[in-house]
Amino acid sequence: MSSQITLTSSDGVDISVDRTVAERSILIKNMLEDLGDSGEPIPIPNVNEAVLKKVIEWCEHHKNDPVTATDDDDNRRKTTDIDEWDQKFMQVDQEMLFEIILAANYLDIKALLDVGCKTVANMIKGKSPEEIRKTFNIQNDFTPEEEDQIRRENEWAEE
Amino acid sequence: MPKRHLNDELVTQPPSKRRRDLKSTPPDRLSSLSDELLLQILSFLPISSLNICQRLSRRFHTLAGDPELWKRQYYVQWVRPRARRLANVTRSTLPSKTSAARVDYSPKVSTWLDHGHLTADGKITNWKGQYRLRHNWSTGVCRVSEVKFTESQTPPILAQLCAGVVFTADTVHGLRAWAAKDPAHCFAEISFSDSVETPSINPTALAVSHFVDEREVVVGFDDGQACRYLFNVRTARLQLVSRHTGLADGAITAMALSSAYLMVVSENKNLSLYHFQGSARSSRSAKLQKLTSLSAANMVAPMTLSMRRSGVNIVATIVYSFFHISCGWSLGIQELRFDRTGQQVESRLTSTVESQHGTLSERGRPESRNQRDSVTLEIDVDRIAPDSGEPLIVHLHPPTSISYSHPYLLTSHADNTLTMYLVVSDNQRLFVRGGQRLWGHTSSVSAVQVTNRGKAISVSGRGDEIRIWELEPAVRSLGSRPLLQDESSIKVHPEHPDHDEADLDSAPTGSPGDIPEEHEVPDGWSIIQGCVGFDEERVLLLREKAVGTQLLECYDFT
Repeated sequence: MSSQITLTSSDGVDISVDRTVAERSILIKNMLEDLGDSGEPIPIPNVNEAVLKKVIEWCEHHKNDPVTATDDDDNRRKTTDIDEWDQKFMQVDQEMLFEIILAANYLDIKALLDVGCKTVANMIKGKSPEEIRKTFNIQNDFTPEEEDQIRRENEWAEE
Repeated sequence: MPKRHLNDELVTQPPSKRRRDLKSTPPDRLSSLSDELLLQILSFLPISSLNICQRLSRRFHTLAGDPELWKRQYYVQWVRPRARRLANVTRSTLPSKTSAARVDYSPKVSTWLDHGHLTADGKITNWKGQYRLRHNWSTGVCRVSEVKFTESQTPPILAQLCAGVVFTADTVHGLRAWAAKDPAHCFAEISFSDSVETPSINPTALAVSHFVDEREVVVGFDDGQACRYLFNVRTARLQLVSRHTGLADGAITAMALSSAYLMVVSENKNLSLYHFQGSARSSRSAKLQKLTSLSAANMVAPMTLSMRRSGVNIVATIVYSFFHISCGWSLGIQELRFDRTGQQVESRLTSTVESQHGTLSERGRPESRNQRDSVTLEIDVDRIAPDSGEPLIVHLHPPTSISYSHPYLLTSHADNTLTMYLVVSDNQRLFVRGGQRLWGHTSSVSAVQVTNRGKAISVSGRGDEIRIWELEPAVRSLGSRPLLQDESSIKVHPEHPDHDEADLDSAPTGSPGDIPEEHEVPDGWSIIQGCVGFDEERVLLLREKAVGTQLLECYDFT
């Protein structure tokens, strides 16, 4: 069993990585288990080089984290606190941020997906609807009347 | 070589190039995520942010209102803490392995996690609505709507709330059924002159009991007769089922109804218990079988009747107040048990005197008298020998109202307090555990109602202060320490309906100036007549104006 495997990004770049690091991705882990390690590069068709490198950087840093697959769903969601390293790691532009989320989702790296989602959640928290729309360029497709009604309906929880 | 490589890249990489072009008009990357991923992100947000997100766009309106998101929030906020708290209650009572400990009050798991009705099979629950409902109850926020009964009525109108339907009975209009959701909307009405032979009689008591989509209503009259009605919720039809004369030896002053059993108290303080024979709900020719009759001559108002099922038995309970020499006004509790055939199993009696003295040991009362044959309501004062010391709870005036819903027993008092007891009733014994004053009101309390889940509503004399009590936490501290003022009650803060939309036809909406105000009592409105009742969503009060006009007030927490 080789300790190094090769991943091929969507833009055709081969990246060599420790198997243990790559296995933070449940997708890759299952693939290696199902197909065996033939030494062939594993194609990752949905993730480009830049994003894949970023993801590998994260996996590298977290390779010794205990794998908590049966994470208590609610404890996980109790807080949107992100540890310092991850916070720095996530200081990227929005394009990269969402690419990481998509990649984490595709590669099935739950902890990274959580960090990504928490980062976005923190960008939403405490903002007004207008500020959130501006942050993400969300198109307001409500009529003014509809918007007003929804505002009134949802007033109760804004204390 | 490097040049060729670059060219290759350009040819093989059209997608990334396209993406770069789009940058000129910044794309909405958040909305381009799948619903699944967006829900994942939203699941990390508190409810205040979810409400904000619903205002972003149509897509976000749907996603941030997702039932699963709100269900999780609901569980985290309301179900889990309660389960934890209740787990502590049992843990604290379990270690003492005496036989008495086992009969200590310990609510069943099924009633703790009391949300089964929300997760019923095949029923789509509006979890956001449920969350909001709980939120409003917990903060006392509600809307008020009212229905005026302009005619002066003697005797005053009777009203009862039963699972979303309000029933009123008065001489002029007869029995009417209203939607609690919209109290201006009368579902059905049925005149008494059609049901009774002598049209001049007045309704004096009203009892309602609840089936799946039917409500059984019994109206008692001042000549001792009673009429039984059925209201079908789906068809909104109200029909007379049967008429029974001579149920009481005078005006019926109080009734309690539980499926096929009816308890009646007359103005002459005679109490009778009846059983409707035959298939209870549908048969028109239902006969009433008298099971027992008690003379309650020394019973002093206020009193309350309660009927409940306990295993195979029917338990009828009469709670009444009496004056005790050492601790003032106390409560006597008489419990009658009947088996399925209507055969009386036993009759037991207890009082709150020992609780008021705080002398009740955890071992409980060993002997509550079994009075299989005795049929007289009478507290044997000597038997309850006041033990050492001053009583902890002394009431110099009779309670203003009593409400009993097993195991909770509450009284309201003119001295701004409520007193709570827990009734323990099992096969061996009947006794009252604990006794605790509940503070919170700032004026005389005139009415209290409690449910078997420990939620209680109390109303001050003028109706300007309504408090919601969650008594489960109080059970834990029962007898050990006084409750802090804010610990278990919340003052209701009604929002005024917009004055522009004050017509009863239009749905009353909360005023935009969202700071809850004190509910002003209009001058000339006099005392609250009673708490008609409350259900999962609202509280109903009956107010009476000095000149006789009555007003039904609905406090809506949805």
